[in-house]
Amino acid sequence: MNPAAQPLPVQDVQGDARWISQHERFVQECKDAEPDVLFIGDSMVQLMQQHEVWRDLFSPLHALNFGLAGDTTCNVLWRIQNGELQNIQPKVVVLWVGTNNHQHTAEQVSGGVTAITQILISQLPRAKIIVLGLLPRGEHQNSLREKNAVVNELLRSSVPQLGPAQFLDVSAEFVQSDGSISKHDMFDFLHLTAAGYQTLSKPLHDLLLQTLEETSDSAPHTQSVSSQFDLL
Amino acid sequence: MSEDSHPADSPTPCQDIQGDGRWMSLHNRFVSDSKGKEPDVLFVGDSLVQLLHEFEVWRKLFSPLHALNFGVSGDATQHVLWRLINGELDYISPKVVVLWVGTNNHGHTPEQICGGIMAIINVIHQKLPHAHTLVLGLLPRGKNPNPLRERNASVNALVQAEVASLSHVSFLDVDPGFIHSDGSILHQDMKQPLSRKHAV
Repeated sequence: MNPAAQPLPVQDVQGDARWISQHERFVQECKDAEPDVLFIGDSMVQLMQQHEVWRDLFSPLHALNFGLAGDTTCNVLWRIQNGELQNIQPKVVVLWVGTNNHQHTAEQVSGGVTAITQILISQLPRAKIIVLGLLPRGEHQNSLREKNAVVNELLRSSVPQLGPAQFLDVSAEFVQSDGSISKHDMFDFLHLTAAGYQTLSKPLHDLLLQTLEETSDSAPHTQSVSSQFDLL
Repeated sequence: MSEDSHPADSPTPCQDIQGDGRWMSLHNRFVSDSKGKEPDVLFVGDSLVQLLHEFEVWRKLFSPLHALNFGVSGDATQHVLWRLINGELDYISPKVVVLWVGTNNHGHTPEQICGGIMAIINVIHQKLPHAHTLVLGLLPRGKNPNPLRERNASVNALVQAEVASLSHVSFLDVDPGFIHSDGSILHQDMKQPLSRKHAV
């Protein structure tokens, strides 16, 4: 049993129930909203909504943001099985999670991400899934960078096998020639600045537009069509 | 941040549990950033301080004041205390230090958190005898009334009372009324302490 593929809610240890409050708000949003794009994941997703890039590039695509800081694959799994996919039919789901899975190996994390992707595909039969690669973290080379890179390698081959799913990895944009990450891209060597989000969003937005255009065709979609867009 | 067994007023660095050394990288960067800079204002504290730097409000209101930002997400009082004792105040002479910390002190009582904040104020005063410290009140948190809101309100009352007699310290309550009449906080104002709209 892969522990990274077990659905788990976050326990309220601090005492202000913020995680469950946000989950409940997302479930409520599903009742009224008709998103074409759903973003789901951890703080990397959540924080995107605080920056102009969201308003400029993703809001216009009728996107919803279900990012929750600190989430692991287990937490996202729990959320999508407890109401966050109800009543919505997005054409594309952007999934970005895995960097917080500190208790799990790279193989387990990759398994958790593919488990989420499989559930998204089965719950939302008309949707295409874009899985974002985990970004490097830490000022200099370290074991978490290595782990995240292994997760990405595994996902690079496993995601396209799942069907209407693609993998997008923009990691290379964030490591400088001396191996360091700049504070101008990641203010704490993990979370993106406004500029960092701009760098990430360009290829993501391009891929989203392509994918949305593809879903608007009435022709059936084959495996080979989606593999054209497996950007590395 | 989970419950911490370290005292709120005992300087404690953050252990690198995750494996990428980010806390120490940030501390080292703050120390080296401070060499050769002459800030008039220094902001120090937790994620609420750190995130201020990432939005327009910093460029518009605080950069022009020659401000430096030494905020670190997740920091409790004992972590800020360690950072200030270990280099972050050694190369600068700001006129004002804005201190905003305490909401991450899980497991500490309001009295202990106040003690931690006072310890920081004392270190600032020792290292920067000519600086004025502006302590910001802890904001309420959580969608509905909860023990952390009570705790934060108690901390604010205690700190406000303690600094009243100190000429080099002021207390500022920056809550513009986030809590509505039904006791709730809107997510449009606060998503969670890590990503709060800076409406103050």
